[in-house]
Amino acid sequence: MSQEKLNFIVVDDSKLDCFIAEKIIQNTGRCASVSTFQQANDALIYLRTMASNDIPTIIFVDIQMPVMNGFEFVESFETLPAERRSNFYIYMLSSSINENDIARVKGYSSVKQFLNKPLTSSTINHVLEQF
Amino acid sequence: MNGKDKIKVLYIDDEQNNLISFKAAFRFDYNIFVAINTTEAINHLKANPDISVILSDQKMPDKTGVEFFEEIRKEFPNPIRILITGYADIESVINAINRGHVYRYIKKPWSEDDIRSSIDQGYKFYVTTAMLAVKNEELQKAYNELDKFAYSATHDMRGPILSVLGIIDLAKHTDNLADVKEMMGMMENAMLKLDNYIQNLHDYYSIRRGEVEIADINFDDIVKDLSDIYEVTSKMNNVKFVKNVQQAETFRSDEVSIKIILNNLLSNAFKYQVKNNENKFVELDVNVAKGIANIVVKDNGIGIPENSINQIFNMFYRGNSEEVGSGFGLYNVKDALGKLNGKIDVVSSAEGTTFSIAIPNK
Repeated sequence: MSQEKLNFIVVDDSKLDCFIAEKIIQNTGRCASVSTFQQANDALIYLRTMASNDIPTIIFVDIQMPVMNGFEFVESFETLPAERRSNFYIYMLSSSINENDIARVKGYSSVKQFLNKPLTSSTINHVLEQF
Repeated sequence: MNGKDKIKVLYIDDEQNNLISFKAAFRFDYNIFVAINTTEAINHLKANPDISVILSDQKMPDKTGVEFFEEIRKEFPNPIRILITGYADIESVINAINRGHVYRYIKKPWSEDDIRSSIDQGYKFYVTTAMLAVKNEELQKAYNELDKFAYSATHDMRGPILSVLGIIDLAKHTDNLADVKEMMGMMENAMLKLDNYIQNLHDYYSIRRGEVEIADINFDDIVKDLSDIYEVTSKMNNVKFVKNVQQAETFRSDEVSIKIILNNLLSNAFKYQVKNNENKFVELDVNVAKGIANIVVKDNGIGIPENSINQIFNMFYRGNSEEVGSGFGLYNVKDALGKLNGKIDVVSSAEGTTFSIAIPNK
């Protein structure tokens, strides 16, 4: 099994949760780079302007954020040109146990999976098995 | 009982004499409106939406009483409808009930007691129905809020707990003591945030369910208390706190509500400052005159974006991505002001935000 290095992007309004995600990602040993954003809009600007990515990039995005929430982020992401969107894998995270939110995640083709918070080393290792 | 408190009754009959004798008989007990035809009757209903009982003659030249009731039922569903007729055949009774939804059926010639008891009972029915509608609306509002609350509570209360669990997971795999200490600091912040949320929640319920306790308000004392609370924040963050109280007259209101209002506005003013500004300030002005307390909370902080200024008083709305807000504060302010019949205005730009409040004396 190839142990390819990956890029990571974390979008979460909680500084603390960004920190946790960053540390856990670094601990996996699969991390080529990790960028964290507390505002979804900043992450979008980054995605629009970043140089093309030749290695897979995993995006962890929180659902409940003020100003631009996780769903709005994914909707904006889906309007990007197809070549910009390739090689990105989005995972949505939430602390809510709201069935509607979980069902809504399934409606987005660009979202791979819904994950419960907190992001732990075992959750992330499970995700990484697919890459 | 003066004219304003009397039950408003509308009587429709095509015979002028009947109108006159009706008015003569009942004008001391009720506030009587009379109409010689249905057009006039509808004008009365439009001008007086609080007419609660309508009595109509059945046999009129332009249309029957039942037809009239059927016609107005959509636009004026609330008034109680009573039909008066001299020809009481079973067919018209059935029609009256099924098509006109009449509450009572009175036979001509009517007796004063018949009319009186019909109006009084009809009015009772009217009040009960109206009250039920109001209660239903309140209940619906409470349900909506509860839904919103349940949704937000899972996020805002579980959020900090899950963060701490995440850090604990991380700390277990960390050997460096300095790193672990840093994590402890983060856990502390998460718990402070949760505590702040729960305190706001408590405020929310004291406004919602608590009774208003009207007492003499001494703004000097209140502002003194607030100065003590904000002294540390003011010094630590280098924010000048300017206070100005002018109260020459007695002012009566609910102290708990006023404290909640001022506390939330001040806490926001101190929180949303421009970090590198040399001359950070928060200004609190209280001026009590002519039975109104005018309060101004002003800061030169980051300001509120134009596109979110209309939403800041909504429950759980957070206009800023900093993770400090609970989305409760300004909602509580507005709720508390509602209890005191007060008003709030906000003006904001990149140079800062000013909240102006007016609270009437109780």
